[in-house]
Amino acid sequence: MISGVSGDSAGQAPARRHGGRGPFIESLLLATVALAVLNFHPFGSAHLRRHFSQDLIYAWFGDAEWLHPRLPGSAGLRLAPPRAVVMLVDDAALALRGAAWPVPAAFHAQLLTELEVLRPRAVMLDFLLLDRPPSDDICALLAAADRLRSDRIPVYLAVTRQEDLSRLMNANCMDDAGKPLRADEVLIPVSVRRQADETDFVSRRYPFEEADFEQPDEAVGQGAEGGAPGLPSAAVRIYCDMAAQRDRCAADLERGALPQAGFELAWSPRGDPFNRRWSKAGCGGPPASLRAIVDRTMFPRETGCPPIATLFASALLSPAEDSALGANNEQLFDLVEGSTVFIGGNFRASGDLITTPMHTLLPGVYYHAVAFENLAIFGGKPKIREEFRRFPLGIYLYDWCVLWALAAIFVWREKWIGADAEAMHHGPLSPSLSARAWVAHLIARTPVALSLSLLVVASLFLAAYPVLQLWTLIAAIVTAVCIEVRVASRGELKERLRNVGLYLGALGLSLTVVAFAIWFGYRWLRLPPGDWVGYLSFSTVGFFVAHTAIVDFGRHVGSIRLTRTASGGVS
Amino acid sequence: MKPVPMMFAMLLLLAPTFAPAQAVAQAATSASAPRAGCAAANLRIVGPRTKDRPLPLMSGDGAHGFRPACSVPWSALSPRNEPLSVEACFRDSLLQLTNDSACGASKGKLWVSARWVLTSTDAASEGTKVVVCQQLETGAYAGTRELKPPCVPANATPAASAPAH
Repeated sequence: MISGVSGDSAGQAPARRHGGRGPFIESLLLATVALAVLNFHPFGSAHLRRHFSQDLIYAWFGDAEWLHPRLPGSAGLRLAPPRAVVMLVDDAALALRGAAWPVPAAFHAQLLTELEVLRPRAVMLDFLLLDRPPSDDICALLAAADRLRSDRIPVYLAVTRQEDLSRLMNANCMDDAGKPLRADEVLIPVSVRRQADETDFVSRRYPFEEADFEQPDEAVGQGAEGGAPGLPSAAVRIYCDMAAQRDRCAADLERGALPQAGFELAWSPRGDPFNRRWSKAGCGGPPASLRAIVDRTMFPRETGCPPIATLFASALLSPAEDSALGANNEQLFDLVEGSTVFIGGNFRASGDLITTPMHTLLPGVYYHAVAFENLAIFGGKPKIREEFRRFPLGIYLYDWCVLWALAAIFVWREKWIGADAEAMHHGPLSPSLSARAWVAHLIARTPVALSLSLLVVASLFLAAYPVLQLWTLIAAIVTAVCIEVRVASRGELKERLRNVGLYLGALGLSLTVVAFAIWFGYRWLRLPPGDWVGYLSFSTVGFFVAHTAIVDFGRHVGSIRLTRTASGGVS
Repeated sequence: MKPVPMMFAMLLLLAPTFAPAQAVAQAATSASAPRAGCAAANLRIVGPRTKDRPLPLMSGDGAHGFRPACSVPWSALSPRNEPLSVEACFRDSLLQLTNDSACGASKGKLWVSARWVLTSTDAASEGTKVVVCQQLETGAYAGTRELKPPCVPANATPAASAPAH
């Protein structure tokens, strides 16, 4: 391995002559190379790495308050922002009212009427009414939505195009007072288009709007840039309708993002406690870090308990389905009153399922509920990836500054180690020369065939039985320490301890820089945690050690410049 | 309800293993706790469970489907706070009232969700746990200290219920 200061002797001179400029330029060079390597992905592999890195962060720390803040608990349901509640309609719920798939509009009307008792803050129907329902059913649905509207409970309806709402028009529906009911007055159309990552089809992003939505003629020309405005996505519209700055809300959310961009969804591994009543899977958080490593559960695992409180429509429609909601429905009122209710289907045949970083298949309505809750918990400042920024250069400049700080710490550590070529050549965690010599002699006394065979067998076992790898690693570390203590001289041990101390000090400082960078980027620049694992890999300084060739090259260039200057050439 | 893209079709093939959606459906079924509900004899509705909010009523029937009819306060259905007879019930979910005028004419007999009303079955099952009530010869009702009105003895057909004294 090439050390940061193991260049040729010609390269040492300019570094010394430059004084303070040497480390400055070296760290700058290292940071620049690091940025290039971190973002060099001609075949798109960096996206995969970022996705997995982000999933890992949420799987480990997704239940932490600093990463995934919580909304007020059940005691504060009426406080803004309201919590999201998912209501799942399934075959059992339809059967309770003598209905069957596809869900008839009259069933939606009944559900809305029943929900009216619970006084939710808003209701979203995540159902596409693809076929025109019978007029009576249309009128029942519009009348139910109108009653909710009169109670100041907006009803949002999923649409994919303008015709979806037009199907509910011209039914000659009247309210109780004989006033005509219009679908576009009592129902608020919202987009339910999804965004999924192309590389693994996982729903990590949520669109702000559906830009190519076909608007009615009168809407054309009202867009900010002369075109028709897009149709807001469900979560965005619902959140903005509740926001204090309602008119500016959507624009504020999208500030700095490219058209048709989406914001990043933070998926929590912790299931909502309400779901314990029906979930077979545990609704706790991720395992403790040590247990995760030892039990090999450190990678994202399937979570069976959804992160949003979920009420089955059948439980609402019949106490026989869930008789434990309180003698006077206290738990039902606690859950739904003042909440934003997202009604969706749980029908396997519908295909309305999503894959999330923590769920193989989840009913699609959770996508909108989680997006809404993300907007609420992040105070309307959702996380947006670099590639969806209008000014990505600024974000990468921030990355570069962070890497420069890490590189400066590395260079500082190398300087502190000093000119001891032997120590630097092997690094603080590599075996000393004495230990290497001792091991070499031990192996040399063994027949070549035997030692090679042992090596091959060990490698095969480690590959075939990964559970051995962790224990082998621990055994190797203990053995190495024992050998060092036994064979190394007092001076070598002292030097080793000093270097290890410097290494740990530099590591701690680097981690502090990384922690600050993560906090600042997450909190103020709205950056998702896609690059956090990358930062951490740089903080261990292994990357810089592997790329110090650029420093040697820089020194070589510097020596040429000095030579030319000394001979009267260009300075 | 959404179109089925190719990806979801592929996911459906993988569904039987660890799908939370499947777990959700199974868990919901297993969580059901059957009650006597509609099967109880002489079933009556004794009060609302809606925080005094209007009761949503449905019209229609199982064969032709149900639709919302209107929402009315309990006092509109039972001005004297008397128990209401249940004509029929539909899958433990809807209870049919004898009332066919609460939502105006031409709505037929109305239905109310069992979720929003307290039935005599509920009252009796709760009453047997902690309280006792009985009809006195004077026609009034008496109950133990924990009794909450109305008192609905299961073996009687009260003409009227009265608060316990």
